[in-house]
Amino acid sequence: MSHHLFLLSPSDTPIYSLTHYSTKLPQSTSSSLSSNLPTWSTSAFAGTLTALSGASSATQSHHVQGGSVRMGGGQDRHVIQMIANASLDVIEDVMRKESAMYLKSVDKFNEWTVSAFITPGNMKFILLHETKNDDGIRSFFHDVWELYVKTMLNPFHTAHSPIRSIVFDTRVRASAKKYL
Amino acid sequence: MQQPHPRFSVLSGSSLSSAEHLSPTASSTRFSLPSATSINTALGTPKPGLRPNIYDRNLNKTRTSEVSASAFAFLFSEVVQYTQKRVSGINDLERRLNTLGYRAGTRVLELMVWRAESSSKAPKREIRFLPALMSIHTQVWRAVFGRPADAIEKSVENEDEYMIIDNDPPIERHISVPKDMNQLSCSSFTAGVVEAVLDGLGLPARVTAHHTPTQQFPSRTTILIKLDKSVLEREEILK
Repeated sequence: MSHHLFLLSPSDTPIYSLTHYSTKLPQSTSSSLSSNLPTWSTSAFAGTLTALSGASSATQSHHVQGGSVRMGGGQDRHVIQMIANASLDVIEDVMRKESAMYLKSVDKFNEWTVSAFITPGNMKFILLHETKNDDGIRSFFHDVWELYVKTMLNPFHTAHSPIRSIVFDTRVRASAKKYL
Repeated sequence: MQQPHPRFSVLSGSSLSSAEHLSPTASSTRFSLPSATSINTALGTPKPGLRPNIYDRNLNKTRTSEVSASAFAFLFSEVVQYTQKRVSGINDLERRLNTLGYRAGTRVLELMVWRAESSSKAPKREIRFLPALMSIHTQVWRAVFGRPADAIEKSVENEDEYMIIDNDPPIERHISVPKDMNQLSCSSFTAGVVEAVLDGLGLPARVTAHHTPTQQFPSRTTILIKLDKSVLEREEILK
């Protein structure tokens, strides 16, 4: 099971992206969830996506626990990016009408659900996920928001410059591990 | 604030001595700032002398992080002088101050809203113009200057124009503009902050500052907001 995070600047330039492979599935903490959705990631939809991307998504270059198919990190990366980009239309429609920062499940594409978080400065965090995990994603976005505000306070950082801080990356990964 | 010298190489287009002057580590010995060490100990740095990473710091510590007005007045006077040397006229100077304010404003907005909303379960943004204007008048002014602005007015002639009025802008308290430059309002910096906040909230506008003295308040300043057409159209739809 994987998650894909994109941080987009107000002009929709990607300034940070992260692919996170959840190891929570085999653990007891989320066993109820995984028993409800036993073969989600290897469902027929995954095959559709593979066909769409024209590439094999089952490239096992990275060993993943639980034997789930590794998605989005290899040759089908551009499909993931396309889904994230396509969701921007929906997000921009919704964010004009709703004042909530956390927009849960704003868009769907095959097995991917798109959740977003809009900061007051019009920064967009987009997360592609396969399972429902509202509270986890809310907490994750909250952490990313705090880290982003801290990055933003750097006078050498502008809204359009990519985030290359190692500490930022480490913290986001740690938070992803904790909540996703 | 207390980075070692290498970071300042960005600024060292001038001589080395001026780079040293700019460096807070050098100046802390010169002016013996007592707070510099206490900040380090209060935050519990792992290694002495090493500055805590921004990612380790708490964004909600506001009480100890107030800046002294005289230090700011000094900094701002340098900003104005620096800018004035590099421009060709008053309009250009105001535009540059506006740009500098804009950079501050993007941060003010993010940090201010984070402080207000991060504890809530469902954080909210402003999407309508009038509440946004109100929050600029009170929250932004309070975050930046420590008190709300004095008034909000709507233009009678043009429906896309709004004004925020400050009777005694703190950033201009120690500035006296020469007679031959009386068009200039250094509150253009504040206008930039306001513009950044509106822009961030998706309400693009052109914001300018104008000196509008009265008998009672000689440094009264009007921040004029001229909204983009798209904002008015959207407000009409959302009504």
